Amino acid sequence: MTVLILTCRQDVTADLVVAELREQGVPLVRFDPADLPDQAGLSVEFDRGDFTGYLSTEGRLVSIHGVRSIWVRRPGRPAAHAANPSEWLTAECGQALYGMLYATTARWMNHPAAAEPARHKPFQLRVAQHSGFAVPSTLVTTYPRAARDFAVQCSDIVVKSASGPPTADPPVTLPTTRIDPDTDFSDVAAGATLLQRYIPKAADIRLICVGSELFAARKTAGSGQVDGRFGCHGHRWEPVDVPARIVRSVHEYMALTGLAYGAFDFAEDADGLWWFLECNQGGQFGFVELETGQPIAAAVASWLAGPGAAHR
Amino acid sequence: MQPFVLKHAIPAERSSASVPYAYSAVLQLNVLSDGRPAIADHAVLLATGTTTSTAGSKTHFDD
Ligand SMILES: Nc1ncnc2c1ncn2[C@@H]1O[C@H](COP(=O)(O)OP(=O)(O)O)[C@@H](O)[C@H]1O
Ligand SMILES: [Mg+2]
Repeated sequence: MTVLILTCRQDVTADLVVAELREQGVPLVRFDPADLPDQAGLSVEFDRGDFTGYLSTEGRLVSIHGVRSIWVRRPGRPAAHAANPSEWLTAECGQALYGMLYATTARWMNHPAAAEPARHKPFQLRVAQHSGFAVPSTLVTTYPRAARDFAVQCSDIVVKSASGPPTADPPVTLPTTRIDPDTDFSDVAAGATLLQRYIPKAADIRLICVGSELFAARKTAGSGQVDGRFGCHGHRWEPVDVPARIVRSVHEYMALTGLAYGAFDFAEDADGLWWFLECNQGGQFGFVELETGQPIAAAVASWLAGPGAAHR
Repeated sequence: MQPFVLKHAIPAERSSASVPYAYSAVLQLNVLSDGRPAIADHAVLLATGTTTSTAGSKTHFDD
């Protein structure tokens, strides 16, 4: 039985798992949907009440009945590398590929049906509340008035984007930014804006959940630093123990969302409380593994190589 | 009128186009010019930022 990894060539985080699978002697095929239909192929046939099919890429062939598990690790858009790419070609190839994979009994990390809602911050915040996490007061709105009232009520807030930075040339990024409650909020009417109470942060926490295994890392925040990815102050990621109530909430969150993998971000305050910020269903673990030495890739590989449906 | 959050956009560092490794279809992972897997060189990975949480975030928002 084969592990199918849907990813792009340049993803070295996928490399970490490829190397682990090889070490464990588990067959794998690395497949980039962007290579369809020129450099990769597929075929699926429905006949006499049954179906058969295979994927092929770079001289490798995998029968869809031989797929043990599927890891979705930043795959390319279907047919993105085609000689004549188009939205329509992407849709056609995506239908064929994901349609045949949905039809298998393979275990997914993560199943796209679980991943889709799990990408949305407002959904995450609600699930986090149900899971027993501490969630900072948050407002998502298109009403300037609501934004103003929220700013007054919280007195100290940040703004962040819900979906990430826009594509722009030259490229821009959108760090979480602290804003003055006296700010003019009229432009809130021009988009959906996510405002959140500012958590005076002692540290950033990234917690990776793989199946039921947890790995957490902590990075001390610079004084007054808001977004941990910008303006680093020479602090490093270090392994940290996970408080028992966070363990319970993480498991609850995973059960409620149906995710097999999640990368949680928390802000640790001065009292040591971990405030839930988000859970990235496809979040990066490479830097945590490299800086703390925690065996996360090995855990992903073991999950993918593990027994079938039973521990989905 | 531009969306409120965009007022806080800042220029992004352009991802340096060249990384010191290339994909090997045989091994199904990236290798350095001396033939070692790219993941064997942690310094290279951290320096190129390819495994950090901002890597690739232009196309993948769920970092
Ligand atoms: N309410 C908040 N108070 C303080 N810092 C925050 C708050 N929300 C986010 N941050 C910081 O901003 C960074 C990114 O936040 P996050 O919620 O993970 O959004 P994303 O990663 O999607 O941009 C993290 O370093 C986090 O600690
Ligand atoms: Mg984050």
